Amino acid sequence: MAGIGFELRRLSQSQTYFGLLRAYAYAGIVSSGPWVLSIAAILMLGMLSIGLVIPSVQITRFQVSVTWLIALSLIYTGGFQLIYTRYVADRLFERRPDCVVPNLTGALLVLLLPASVMVSIAMLVWFPGTSAAYRLLMITGFVLLCMVWVLTVLLSGLKQFRAVLLIYLLGYGSVLLVALWWRPYGMEGLLGGFVVGQLVLVLGMARLVWQEYPPTRLVGMDFFRHQQNRLWLIPAGILFNAGVWVDKFIFWLSPGTGDRIIGVLYSSVIYDTPTFLAYLTIVPGMAVFLFRMEVDFVHAYDRYFNLVRSGGTLPAIEEQRREMVIAARHGIRDILGTQGLTLLVLIAFARVILPALGISVLYSGQLAIISLGVMLQLLVMAALNILFYLDDLRETVVITAVMLVANAVCSWISIALGPYFYGYGFACGMLIATVVALPLVNRRLSRLNYETFMHTR
Amino acid sequence: MTDAFAVDILLLLEGTYPYVKGGVSSWVHEIIRGMPQFRFGIVFLGSRESDYAGWRYELPTNVAFVQSHFLFDAVSTPPKLPCRRDRGPSPTIEAALREFHEKLQTACPDIPSSRQLADPASPVGHGMFLDSDSAWQYLTERYETSALAESFVDYFWTVRNLHAPLWILGQIAAKVPPARLFFSPSTGYAGLLGAMCSQQGNAPYVLMEHGIYTRERRIDMMKAEWIRDHRNFLQTDQGEISHLRSLWVQFFETASRQSYSKANPVISLFDRARRQQIADGADEARTRIIPNGVEIERFRGLRRALDAPVPQVMALIGRVVPIKDIKNFIRAAAIAGQKLPHLQAWIIGPTEEDPPYADECRELVQSLGLENIVQFLGFRRVEDVLPGIGVNVLSSVSEGLPLSVLEGFAAGIPAVTTDVGACREMLEGSGRDDDVSGVAGGVAGLADPDGLASHIVSLLSDPQRYREAVETAIARVEKRYDRLTMLATFERIFREAMD
Repeated sequence: MAGIGFELRRLSQSQTYFGLLRAYAYAGIVSSGPWVLSIAAILMLGMLSIGLVIPSVQITRFQVSVTWLIALSLIYTGGFQLIYTRYVADRLFERRPDCVVPNLTGALLVLLLPASVMVSIAMLVWFPGTSAAYRLLMITGFVLLCMVWVLTVLLSGLKQFRAVLLIYLLGYGSVLLVALWWRPYGMEGLLGGFVVGQLVLVLGMARLVWQEYPPTRLVGMDFFRHQQNRLWLIPAGILFNAGVWVDKFIFWLSPGTGDRIIGVLYSSVIYDTPTFLAYLTIVPGMAVFLFRMEVDFVHAYDRYFNLVRSGGTLPAIEEQRREMVIAARHGIRDILGTQGLTLLVLIAFARVILPALGISVLYSGQLAIISLGVMLQLLVMAALNILFYLDDLRETVVITAVMLVANAVCSWISIALGPYFYGYGFACGMLIATVVALPLVNRRLSRLNYETFMHTR
Repeated sequence: MTDAFAVDILLLLEGTYPYVKGGVSSWVHEIIRGMPQFRFGIVFLGSRESDYAGWRYELPTNVAFVQSHFLFDAVSTPPKLPCRRDRGPSPTIEAALREFHEKLQTACPDIPSSRQLADPASPVGHGMFLDSDSAWQYLTERYETSALAESFVDYFWTVRNLHAPLWILGQIAAKVPPARLFFSPSTGYAGLLGAMCSQQGNAPYVLMEHGIYTRERRIDMMKAEWIRDHRNFLQTDQGEISHLRSLWVQFFETASRQSYSKANPVISLFDRARRQQIADGADEARTRIIPNGVEIERFRGLRRALDAPVPQVMALIGRVVPIKDIKNFIRAAAIAGQKLPHLQAWIIGPTEEDPPYADECRELVQSLGLENIVQFLGFRRVEDVLPGIGVNVLSSVSEGLPLSVLEGFAAGIPAVTTDVGACREMLEGSGRDDDVSGVAGGVAGLADPDGLASHIVSLLSDPQRYREAVETAIARVEKRYDRLTMLATFERIFREAMD
């Protein structure tokens, strides 16, 4: 495994301001790369197609279809992503890498067979008047996206950030190329490009996994036997992804804010535009997040548990526990710092940036508040990540459930309060989740010694 | 005796009868068989069920029941405490744990009752020990005051493992059927159980120690490789045992002190053992010596006439294992053989237990050129070999009260032994009223083949000394080591304790 932590540490040790900046830039690209690339590609496709795909509602239909595909596939695979990554980490710890691929295919079969049946039925029933090509592409797209998420999180869990980034560049490059080439076929052409790109992604990542962990069988089912004590990861993963998307769904489906675009798919121009832009501001925060988690926290975490296992004295163990607390605290502080700064820049220059992107400056207020929400979401992710590392899975379910409910309720209230409050619901929901998550992490870290030793049965 | 009591005497047996053959087990079997007027119950404490291959004895009809408990099978871990994680350290619980611990260690007689130990909600319950913040608090505090340089993970698990049987014993004690008297032939876990049962049932507890449990455990612990020892070569004082080992030793010392504090009388086999018990915390006024006995009648017919020629045969009856120091016997045979041209040396006992050691012994015989003198006879019935033996030799480095010496005495054969266990008392007399004077052979130091050899030569070549030794041996075994006397003494003690 290529240790990203090691590489980042090497880059950051170059003592100069430029060296540190380079390290952060690298971390930013590898951590948020796939995320940014997919949003950027869809927005870019839209822009490049204006005037070429006629009528332009075809472009909107394409974008909305892809957004729904992404949202639903993320939620559907949310629990499985986490639990499968854990399973792989355990097998690698046991030095049984040959289990990785057979169980991936086995588990994907079980996961995707019902999904493709359900999606097929939905496409047949709820999309009257759409072409057969569209329906087929949507079904294929959904299945491929599910595989993309599982593979991405698997490779990221194995710290293969750079390889993932390269494959994403290749994948979304293909999306752009193929979609531009098939533009004459309208919405179906754009969607076809997207699906081809996902296929490239799946093949690329599958090849990488196959290379790293040569299998001895094709299909294995022992994955399902190992997971009794990990089952909490399933609700945690599903609730997290649902919590991230629930405000969007509410805006899409509310009569005042959403429009029916195609079949049963809705969108909300007034909410989606600032939201997508806000998610692009996450890049600096993600860099810090990755840096602090994968370098400082994991380093302290490894030293802590090595010390426990190798028979360190209690004062030495306590010293390492403090190091972990410090790393976590610095992580949170730095996420606040960088995202706060990004937010300030955004507020100061919104009047310049937005028109340059062809977006009305009226969105600037909403953009700022949603960006604040995104920053808080990052804090929740940091907290969840620490709890995942410490195997405190029940707490992660509590936090993600709070996040889902708070985001839903607050967003619903914000719609009732009127356009001025759009975005405040999301920020408020994330704030509540943060307020719940951080004390839980604090408590868990302060009781780490007790939990490590006494909480073993 | 039919009344509210399920049995008269409840035997608390650790790792012995009826699952394991051996000295203590046959003694227990004799006691039960010899007292048909009492109804016995047995509570057996074992390590893991898989360590035993079922009962090895046919139980006498006056055994009403056998309960078996396996302390390390870990079937009885308590349910987790509800909501414990939000409780935080509680001063009351910590104080209760501290008090319990201090009472245990100082052998304070009113430790928490077995019902309190078995109650999951009690501040000294097992769940509290395993899960509570207070227990964690107390444990880390003890670690910081006593064991700072130790690996914490090893300290933690040592403390957990060595205390775990306390609660299992508490549960067992809370459920034992009522008895008029509790009896255990050792301290250790059985002794702790005895203390708990007697406190709870308000019934007397009689303790008998065949070996000195604490001393044996101390030897085990020094040898135990499973206790991880974090010393390195810079910690040069190799004589000092590491803290983790001493924790185990301390635990067994505590168990002994607890049993001594509740038991009356505290019985031992010989005076040296009694003095060790007193040193380990037993009240001198409660101590008693009751030696083992042999069935005199079985051996009476084997005695030779006093003027019959003495067979020039020195013999060791025992297993060929290092603790018997067979090499010491072989070396003594080599030295004695130079003075006694017709000397024969027999080693009578199984060689299968430690084959490498047996091979070493055979090689030693060869290298000393003793093939014509030393013979390995393997296992034999004592009655068959005793008539051919001149002197019964015991070269052990450790013994309690060896029955083979007494059986030799009953057959009119003097003994030469190392100075271990009860040997000096058996050979030279205890100087007490219930004993006879005179020397029944000779005593040499440990690993002193010259000493053994000089006694053997002197006995086999001096008919006057030999005759005196034979007379003393017979007189002493009949007066002091008769099985019937032993049984009668125990019966009297049991009756007195029950009233």
